[in-house]
Amino acid sequence: MKRPNARPPSRIIDRIRAFELRGLGAIGRGRNFPYLLLGIGLILFPILDPDSSHVNVAADAGHWILLALGLNIVVGYAGLLDLGYAAFFAIGSYAFAILASGQFNIHISFWVLLIASAFIAALFGVLLGAPTLRLRGDYLAIVTLGFGEIVPRVFRNASPITGGVNGIIGVDQPHLPPILGWNGNFGFNPVPYYYLILIILGVSIWLINNLRNSRLGRAWMAIREDEVAAAATGINTVTTKLLAFALGASFSGFAGTYYASKLFVVVPESFSFQAVSVVVLVMVVLGGMGNMRGVIVGAILIYFIQTYLLIQLPGWIDSAISALNIGFLTKLDISGYVQRSNYLIFGIILAGIMLLRPQGLIPSAQRKVELELGTSEEAVADLGSA
Amino acid sequence: MPLLEVKGLTKRFGGLVAVNNVDLSVEQGEIFAMIGPNGAGKTTLFNLVAGLYKPSSGQIFFNGRSVYPVRDFWSTYMPPLAAYYTVADAIRRGLGLGPMPLGLKTHAVTTLGVARTFQNIRLFSYMTALENVMVGEHARMHAQVWDALLRTPFARREERQVRERARELLRFVGLERYGEQYARNLPYGFQRRLEIARALATEPKLLMLDEPAAGFNPQEKAELMQLIKEIRSQGITVFLIEHDMKVVMEVSERIVVLDYGEKIAEGPPQKVRSDPRVIEAYLGKSA
Repeated sequence: MKRPNARPPSRIIDRIRAFELRGLGAIGRGRNFPYLLLGIGLILFPILDPDSSHVNVAADAGHWILLALGLNIVVGYAGLLDLGYAAFFAIGSYAFAILASGQFNIHISFWVLLIASAFIAALFGVLLGAPTLRLRGDYLAIVTLGFGEIVPRVFRNASPITGGVNGIIGVDQPHLPPILGWNGNFGFNPVPYYYLILIILGVSIWLINNLRNSRLGRAWMAIREDEVAAAATGINTVTTKLLAFALGASFSGFAGTYYASKLFVVVPESFSFQAVSVVVLVMVVLGGMGNMRGVIVGAILIYFIQTYLLIQLPGWIDSAISALNIGFLTKLDISGYVQRSNYLIFGIILAGIMLLRPQGLIPSAQRKVELELGTSEEAVADLGSA
Repeated sequence: MPLLEVKGLTKRFGGLVAVNNVDLSVEQGEIFAMIGPNGAGKTTLFNLVAGLYKPSSGQIFFNGRSVYPVRDFWSTYMPPLAAYYTVADAIRRGLGLGPMPLGLKTHAVTTLGVARTFQNIRLFSYMTALENVMVGEHARMHAQVWDALLRTPFARREERQVRERARELLRFVGLERYGEQYARNLPYGFQRRLEIARALATEPKLLMLDEPAAGFNPQEKAELMQLIKEIRSQGITVFLIEHDMKVVMEVSERIVVLDYGEKIAEGPPQKVRSDPRVIEAYLGKSA
């Protein structure tokens, strides 16, 4: 027997839920609500956590996120495997350091150079991207790897301009007009840097999200999927790829400027292949190529593993051993082994994560379909009921 | 004046002559078919017209404009190098090598109004059906990098229009319900139709279909023929390669037959069907 008024309870819950979402819509349109909370949390973080070293770590993590987001444009959207991303980061950093330091006694404002070095990095993105336009896949990776090695070497050897191995010390720091009892000098206080990178990141995420959902973003993805078909569909593959290199590089220009002014020094060693290019690529791939949220999570995770976990691990092992108080263990010097095999442990962690989640931590829809759904027949069967 | 005119077109791959001195012309508003045995050079000819390959020699005109060779290539694309081109061209001519062989890039040919589909479907697999069609409209969009970055009102308006038009095109090919599906998840027949929708999104004057009925059952073939006729009724000229004689004979108004890269016959279906050289090419010479 069917009662006409009986409704499955789930539908009532749906209605209540829908009503709730409309109510929340006034603040953050329902699905955006968690992000709103996260945003408020991030803004209040330096106030809630008085330990300025934590804020410093967060401020440093910021420029890695920015680098990962920039590389995601090139690798994740346009599908161009770039192993030389450090080159653009180095160019951004040095552009700022040369134009805002005692090196030539040029002191251009940080705020002007923040934009200018993004343009300079973009220009070099085009210059280095142009010779690679005919290359794909492995061959592109090899050439970009070469550029990534050449650029820091040029900076190391062009001593009259770049200070050579010693780099440039005493890079200018940002100034703001005094507000709210704060004198406006950034100095070595991490809190203003934290807010600066937060703003830069917010703007960058907005810009990249716009790009992704634009004519240009679609053209990048079309080239990633099938270059011949993209060209036959009216996409100028040359300019589209160059724009991917240029826009990807421009975000590393932001990151470079921020990095140089926060660190106060620029040395060529900080832009090596293993220090930047690989780490950023790992952030992108491990987080989930092509997905901004995934890339951000990947960047934070890798940064955390590198700067916290690997450094603290020997200490933890030491204290664990002394707590266990087993004689022969204390003689073995396990923590020393761990300390010396930093990269090995990092590699094992990476391999472990990739085995568990080959599609990345938060995969883009594309990778998800590829790795989870498998064959096309199942997916089409779903359509029948739609 | 024909819409597409090909004169003395030749393409060599090493020692192999894939297309040999072919002349043909496609008139405005007709359905023109190209047939021939496997390896006759049909797809190569498509690729030459679309700018994917550069001809070894010959000329291609589209809508009264030279697509190959492009005399004003450098002055159009890179004015500073026009002088270099003029000198190099003069040297080539002096040596008897003919003019500088420069053709339009593939995307420029598409922008002129030539759209195509591929024999082995080439969709953007991990983009939705709707996105695939929206990519097709790329060449007709005007949003610049700044519009894309800052999401200007102009870009927003254009995105809306493009999305709306893409939906219309999906409706036209009968895929309106599958807009949000990944192209690779669509069944084979739908993928072929989606490729046609993507080609139509470029607002072509000439639509080149490379074996559109391959792998279709009789009902799908009938639907396809209907679709081709509808496309033509919108004023788009159709140039197709097809193996299925039933489709070719029913839908096309003029047929050209290629064999070993050479044109062996041309004319209305009835005439071509009874041409002894065509029968020979398809069935072999009687002993």
